[in-house]
Amino acid sequence: MNRLLVGALALALGTLSAKAQSLDDLNIQIHGYAAQGFLYTTHNNIFNAESSDGSPAWTEAVLNVSSVPTPKLRVAVQARYFLLGDSGNAIVLDWAAADYKFNDRLGVRFGKVKTPWGLFNETQDIDPSYIWALLPQSVYDVTTRNADLAHYGAVIYGTFKLSPSVGKLDYRVWGGEEVIPTDDGQFADLNAAGNGPLNPFTYVTLGGALHWRTPIAGLMIGASDGHANQGSVALVGGSESFTAWNNVSYFTKYEKDKWLLAGEWNRQASPGTLITTGSPSSSVSSDPRAWYLMASYKITGKLTAGAYDSQAVDHDQSLGPDRYTKDWTVSGRYDFSQFIYLKAEEHFIEGTSLSFKNANNAVLLPNSNLTALRIGVSF
Amino acid sequence: MKKHFIALFFTLGVLALAGNAHAQAIVIANPGVKAADVSKVDLKDVFTGSATSLKDGSQVTPVLLKTGSAHDEFLSAYIGKNDTAFRAGWRSLVFSGQAAMPKSLDSEAAVVEYVAHNAGAIGYIGKATPHEGVKVLAVR
Repeated sequence: MNRLLVGALALALGTLSAKAQSLDDLNIQIHGYAAQGFLYTTHNNIFNAESSDGSPAWTEAVLNVSSVPTPKLRVAVQARYFLLGDSGNAIVLDWAAADYKFNDRLGVRFGKVKTPWGLFNETQDIDPSYIWALLPQSVYDVTTRNADLAHYGAVIYGTFKLSPSVGKLDYRVWGGEEVIPTDDGQFADLNAAGNGPLNPFTYVTLGGALHWRTPIAGLMIGASDGHANQGSVALVGGSESFTAWNNVSYFTKYEKDKWLLAGEWNRQASPGTLITTGSPSSSVSSDPRAWYLMASYKITGKLTAGAYDSQAVDHDQSLGPDRYTKDWTVSGRYDFSQFIYLKAEEHFIEGTSLSFKNANNAVLLPNSNLTALRIGVSF
Repeated sequence: MKKHFIALFFTLGVLALAGNAHAQAIVIANPGVKAADVSKVDLKDVFTGSATSLKDGSQVTPVLLKTGSAHDEFLSAYIGKNDTAFRAGWRSLVFSGQAAMPKSLDSEAAVVEYVAHNAGAIGYIGKATPHEGVKVLAVR
């Protein structure tokens, strides 16, 4: 399926190129960004990095090439280099898609496309687009985001303009195949133990999202639900099976003058059973539920400050720090120009259910502070 | 002393009027665009990538100024963002595969020229800039 879609995309690109009179006709654009981060934790290591010693292993670079041969057709491809701790360190195809917009009510993009669940999933890996060095990890876990970012398939989207007293309704419907590479952060424990996956993990995904732009200027309320079929992946000396699950989010965002307020509740609603066969065999059930509330304020044209409270609880875990994560965060971003920015952030974290396990075999302390710095450039 | 105050008020008045004349941005469109006016909401949607048509169904493609007082005035009056935030919003759409960056032109004359010769183009210029060959859309 992946090869078929990418092949179709390549064919579309080739056809367009052949028909083009000149590069100018194709309206080709090149954009990109790069960001370098630094992580320091007072206790525990985070994101598969040696963060308790201070770690600069947090690098990202993206190159985007797009073409708009006609006002309704857009073709684009994006490549990414990503390094976080011991994960990544490779150039991958971020997404590659052809987009045809019939009108504001109906458009379709296909290829490897961003999966539009939740408030931030489409932009969670686009560092220049938000104030935070790290989005709330309860919902947007950076170590396992490859499973969520994009799928091979299609997204159908559009906007219905309701009456002025009701607002506008954006919809997105998606379907296709998710592909999680063998070196993804969620396999870090298995890889570290020498039991990593032999092949990328693939499964079918379907979903939809609604964003209601209310008549109150700047206020959006939305919901999304993504369904993933059951699947399994062969491991060194065994296999791992996942039951079907749903990824449900309810969210809201309010932008007014210099303020941005947002919140989201998310549940990976399923029995969540993960069964590993081989030696040793195990069965793990999970039911993570997460939420966050965030606020940011633009102090000057260049300086923005913000804070959020992000919490996650796995209802299938026994009581203790492994069951939850509570993360109070304060953040600041300074834009030196429209191209260069600096982010500084402090996290006050209680609990260890997120992001710590992969890097540590040692006993984890229940509380830890995380300092995150990031400098980026985009064009 | 009285003459000095009168001269000062006169000078400040002229400067204020001159400032307003430069600051007022007008919205222009290709003559093929049917609409004669545009709502602030539709204008903001088009220039932030949320919509590609006006209320009457006219398909439009935004074109931007790279910089200048008309650009700043337009963003302040109709988009509610400064240049950095405005372009960050567009980059977010570009990097997430939802849109392509609109053309950004160096001068108001170039915007007029582009809008005049490209079907569906919609842009903005200072009120005092000559704009033959395009239509001016009233903003409701």
